[in-house]
Amino acid sequence: MTAGTAPSTAYDVVPYTRGGAVERAEVGALVRAAVDGDAGAWKALVDGLSPLVWSVVRAHRLSDADGHEVYQTVWFRFAQHLGRIREPEKAGSWLASTARHECLKVIKSLTRLMPTDDPLVLDRVSEDRTPEQLLIDSEDAAAEAEQVRRLWQEFEELGDRCRRLLRVLMASPPPSYLEVSAALGIAVGSIGPLRQRCLRRLRARLDARGVV
Amino acid sequence: MSGMREENELHGEHDGHGEDERELAADTFDAAEFDDGLLEEELRRAAAVRDPVPTELRQLALDAYALYDLDARVAELTFDSLVDALPIRGATDAPRMLTFRAGELTVDVEVTGQGLMGQVLPPQPALIEVLGGPQSALPVPVDELGRFTSGARPAGPFALRLRTGADVVVTEWLRA
Repeated sequence: MTAGTAPSTAYDVVPYTRGGAVERAEVGALVRAAVDGDAGAWKALVDGLSPLVWSVVRAHRLSDADGHEVYQTVWFRFAQHLGRIREPEKAGSWLASTARHECLKVIKSLTRLMPTDDPLVLDRVSEDRTPEQLLIDSEDAAAEAEQVRRLWQEFEELGDRCRRLLRVLMASPPPSYLEVSAALGIAVGSIGPLRQRCLRRLRARLDARGVV
Repeated sequence: MSGMREENELHGEHDGHGEDERELAADTFDAAEFDDGLLEEELRRAAAVRDPVPTELRQLALDAYALYDLDARVAELTFDSLVDALPIRGATDAPRMLTFRAGELTVDVEVTGQGLMGQVLPPQPALIEVLGGPQSALPVPVDELGRFTSGARPAGPFALRLRTGADVVVTEWLRA
C-alpha cells in the first residue's frame, strides 16, 4: 500500500482474481488458534479483518462517534463469541454481518439525525496523519495526492448503492463476495454485475473530468 | 471463491451487453474487466490514504482479545425494542428495552437517559458489573431479588457480567 509506487509497477500486483480469497483461507485456522489462546493469531485476525469491519461502518455513513462505537461493539462481540463461532473460516462474513446489523440499529435509532451526506464531515476522518499521508505530503508525491483526492471526490459523489458497494469492496485485503454479501445484505450473484456497473460509472466520471 | 467470482463476471458481461449499445468483442471485455480491476485497486489505495482504520480503533480491537472468556456463558440478546418493538407514536425518547437469555437465566434491562435498570429472572441474588471494555468493570447494587440499577448510562458499548453462585454469565456486547 505504498502511495509512492509508480503506476506501472503498481499495476503488476493487481490481482486478476480476488486476492482476498487466498488470504482468507487462513482465517479458519487463525480463529481456531485464537480460541486456543494464541494472541498472535488474534492480532493477525485484527490486521486482516479490521479494514473490512471499518469499510462496512464507513459504507453506512455513520458519524465518527457512532462508527467508532459500532466498530468496537463488533470486535468486543467477536471476542466474546470466539469459541462458539460455528464456521471459523467464515469469520469475515460473521464480522461483516454483525457490523451491518449494528449500523442498521444506529440508523434506526437516529430518528432525526440521519447519517451524514456532507463530504466535508467525511473528510475529517483522515485528519490523523497516517504514514501514507506523510509520504504523500512530500512535494514529489503531490501530484499523486491530488489524483487520489480527485478519485476520492468522484467516488464520494457516486449514488448511494455504488458508493456503498465500492466502499466495502475496497477493504484491504479485498473481501470475498460472501463477505460483501454479509456486509450489505445483497445476494452474492448481484455483486459482480453491480460492481462492474459502478466501477464503469466511476471511470466515466473520472474520464469526463480529465482525471486519469 | 474465485470460481464464484468468475461466474459473477459472466453475469456481469451479459449485463454489460444489455447496457452498452455496441456489441463488444471478447478481448475488449477482457480489457474492460482488467480496467475495472485497476480502478478497484486504485480505490483500495485511495482508501488506505483517505479513510484508513483509525489507529486507536485498531488498538481497541487488539485489546478486545482480553474479553475472550472461556469460563463465562454468553447471554444472547433475544429482544431489543429498537428492532423488535413497534414504534410508539410521539414517544421519541422511550427507554430501550433489552432481554438477554442464557439457558434458564433471563436478564431484562431498561436503558434510559439516566442509566440502567434491570432484573435477573428467575429472581435471585447476583453480583453484577457493567463492563465498558476490556479494562472497565463497575459493580452495581443488586437487591435479593436480582433487581439492579446503575446511575450512569453506558458511554459506549457495554455488557453485564453476572455471577450467580458458581455461574458466570456475560450479556452480549451492545451499543447502548
